[in-house]
Amino acid sequence: MDWTALGLSLRLGVLTVALLLPVAFLLARWLAYGRFRGRGFVEALVALPLILPPTVVGFYLLHAFGRGSPIGAAFEGLLGHPLVFSFEGLVLASVLVNLPFAVQPMQNALAAIPTSVRDAARCCGLSPLAAIRRIELPLALPGIATGAVLTFAHTLGEFGVVLMVGGSIPGETRTIAIAIYDRVQAFDEPAAATMALVLLVMAVAALGISNTLARRAARRD
Amino acid sequence: MQPRSAGLVVTLRQTQPFALDVSFAAPSGRITALFGHSGSGKTTVLRAIAGLQRTAEARILCGDDVWCDTADRAWRPPHLRPVGFVFQDYGLFPHLTVREQLDLALGHRPAAERTPRIEALLELTRLQELGHRRPAALSGGQQQRAAIARALARDPQVLLLDEPFAAVDWALRESLRRELVALQRSLALTVLLVTHDFEDVAKLASHLVVLERGRVAASGTVEDLTARNAVPGIDGWREPAVALDAHIEGHDPHRQLTHIAAGALRLEVPLVDAPPGATVRVQLAAREVILASQRPEGLSLRNTLEAQVITVESAAHPALRLVHLAVGETRLLSLVTADAARDLALEPGKPILALIKAVAIGAFA
Amino acid sequence: MHRTLALLAACLFAATAAESAAQPSPVIAAASDLQFALDEILTQFKSDTGVAVRVTYGSSGNFARQIEQGAPFELFLSADESFVFALAERKLTRDRGALYAVGRIVLFTPAGSPLTPDPRLEHLARRLADGSSGRIAIANPEHAPYGRAAQQALHSLGLWAALQPHVVLGENVSQAAQFAASGNADGGIVAYSLAIAPALRDRGRYALIPDSLHEPIRQRMVLTRQASPEAVRLYEYLRTPASRAILARYGFVAPEA
Repeated sequence: MDWTALGLSLRLGVLTVALLLPVAFLLARWLAYGRFRGRGFVEALVALPLILPPTVVGFYLLHAFGRGSPIGAAFEGLLGHPLVFSFEGLVLASVLVNLPFAVQPMQNALAAIPTSVRDAARCCGLSPLAAIRRIELPLALPGIATGAVLTFAHTLGEFGVVLMVGGSIPGETRTIAIAIYDRVQAFDEPAAATMALVLLVMAVAALGISNTLARRAARRD
Repeated sequence: MQPRSAGLVVTLRQTQPFALDVSFAAPSGRITALFGHSGSGKTTVLRAIAGLQRTAEARILCGDDVWCDTADRAWRPPHLRPVGFVFQDYGLFPHLTVREQLDLALGHRPAAERTPRIEALLELTRLQELGHRRPAALSGGQQQRAAIARALARDPQVLLLDEPFAAVDWALRESLRRELVALQRSLALTVLLVTHDFEDVAKLASHLVVLERGRVAASGTVEDLTARNAVPGIDGWREPAVALDAHIEGHDPHRQLTHIAAGALRLEVPLVDAPPGATVRVQLAAREVILASQRPEGLSLRNTLEAQVITVESAAHPALRLVHLAVGETRLLSLVTADAARDLALEPGKPILALIKAVAIGAFA
Repeated sequence: MHRTLALLAACLFAATAAESAAQPSPVIAAASDLQFALDEILTQFKSDTGVAVRVTYGSSGNFARQIEQGAPFELFLSADESFVFALAERKLTRDRGALYAVGRIVLFTPAGSPLTPDPRLEHLARRLADGSSGRIAIANPEHAPYGRAAQQALHSLGLWAALQPHVVLGENVSQAAQFAASGNADGGIVAYSLAIAPALRDRGRYALIPDSLHEPIRQRMVLTRQASPEAVRLYEYLRTPASRAILARYGFVAPEA
């Protein structure tokens, strides 16, 4: 059991959720309530990581913030080390790859709020910010929670992109999913089996939680 | 604290997404109905007044307060306009109890004032026992009252209602209408009521603005427009009927009758449950008004009025004629056959008697 | 419920943070064929110096590419010299490194395989000829030196073309050994050091392929520009007789001079 790898995966999951949630909420809100021409295009873009093979995503990410790129150079100046093959690079990749997992449940939850309720919020003296805080957020909470749980679970299991962008550097980018791969290659079946079981249990738990939240949301309506 | 009421002056123009060109005033302290069929633009007008929608050109004044003026680039966002809005589906916040909704709507008042105000509003809308409930646990009528209470919590200068009775069954509609009228009278609120049901107009509104395809087809008092049969778009949907306000002069409990008067018009109707002096909305259907050249004897009717013919015009059916009458300053309508009109030699200026059955008079109090 | 979860998360965070805040631990990259040999050396290194080394195994070509892209490896043990020289050309290393071993390849067959290993792959040739051959695993010749050596040997024996429809490529020679040992293939041409390791030794048989059939697998290691003092110590340690002995036990041939 590679505790470092597990800890790394958990830290990656939590950080991804923490960074992604506010960004995804704003994006979800924009998609749910905005009336603009390119909306379908943006939705397709957000959904890309769902259908693209991780290697394609990894390929483009490597080029987008590898050493030669402006983003990569900027980060290297900031961090003192390259963005690729670092934990920070993993976090960035993870946030991008998990966009649909966070945005879609939130978008659905926000879109489900009746227009009259949102209008009523404005007519009850709530500024746009107060309306988000007191009306939209509480009502969209199950969707937000689902987004968070799915993002966390998906991050734990993410393999292809992590391997390409992060390599498999112990303590830095060797997540538990990669560690399993590594142990299999080292002919260490027992360790691989243990870690695989842990991931399986976590995935099942995550799905259970997200289903409960979805049912709770449905019951409220 | 009595909400101050002010009149609305509204001008809205746009060509996209659909054409709109309206200009009207909703007088202070009165119920004005915004009437039209679906697609006439009336909901857009209401939303624009509330600030939920913007039109290419707009000028909205509430009293002396400019809420919006595209010429000056003046714009006050909805949360800063003193409006109360009752949405068609009420728009109640699903996650808050009635009390919490009111508390939220009272955000403009200091915290100390809120609790007594919440109690007062709950009492006003007869929701005292239901303050702790969430909207899902309220019936349709209760939800509507909650929505009204929340709108009133804003201390609005104008109350906007979007088809408030559309979702309610007819049995409930009458009692809700009464409540709204009572509320409006006690608070002297300026109310703008959007509806496609002329019954709402006839029973509730004192002023009427008729919208047709984004334009004002007619505007004026309900009494004037109905008495002149000048409401566009309802021919074929509704028979001509005058709607006017009368007051109760007195009751005759022995004979189970009430005397009501509107100017020179004096009527006897079946006993009305309201005190003397109270205002009653009266509807007189043209078809219920019989004309006679001499006072009849031995008939069941209770009301014989001395009237004068103003004009005779053709009616929906070629065999019928619509006769405009005057009883003093008050106007009436009568629907008769062309044959009868000829027999009675009806012509402008001719004195005639108007006969109305007591039970045929719709009295709404 | 929420509080317990929060507490759990905090503990995990603390635990993992503590671990990384401990003594500096050099990060190194090593060719897959060193999987077992290097593990043993590093254990010895840890007990001798107290330094824990973090190693990643994989194909040499892959690592070379990653180092070019800025991967933080401090020491690179390649299974092929050319990758090291390429990195040195691009000034990504301290120097041109040092030869640490010469590798050998074997034909490995798992227990129960219909294929019998022999040094010149004659049984394999017969099975290819009569169409009864199953899958044979090798490392990807594009970036794995042991895969390239396998390819060269097969070429020399005139079997490369015939083998094409049956070849299974592993990401690196370890993965090729995985495929071979799993029983899903008839066998594989893999590193000698893997075939004689305890993990594989009892799972099948092997035959050493003559090194005249392929170019020598000259395994070279080099310190990169970001090498820490601990990495330098390891570099020196790997050239000591003790390390050489461990390598020899895993079938590596000592480099001349």
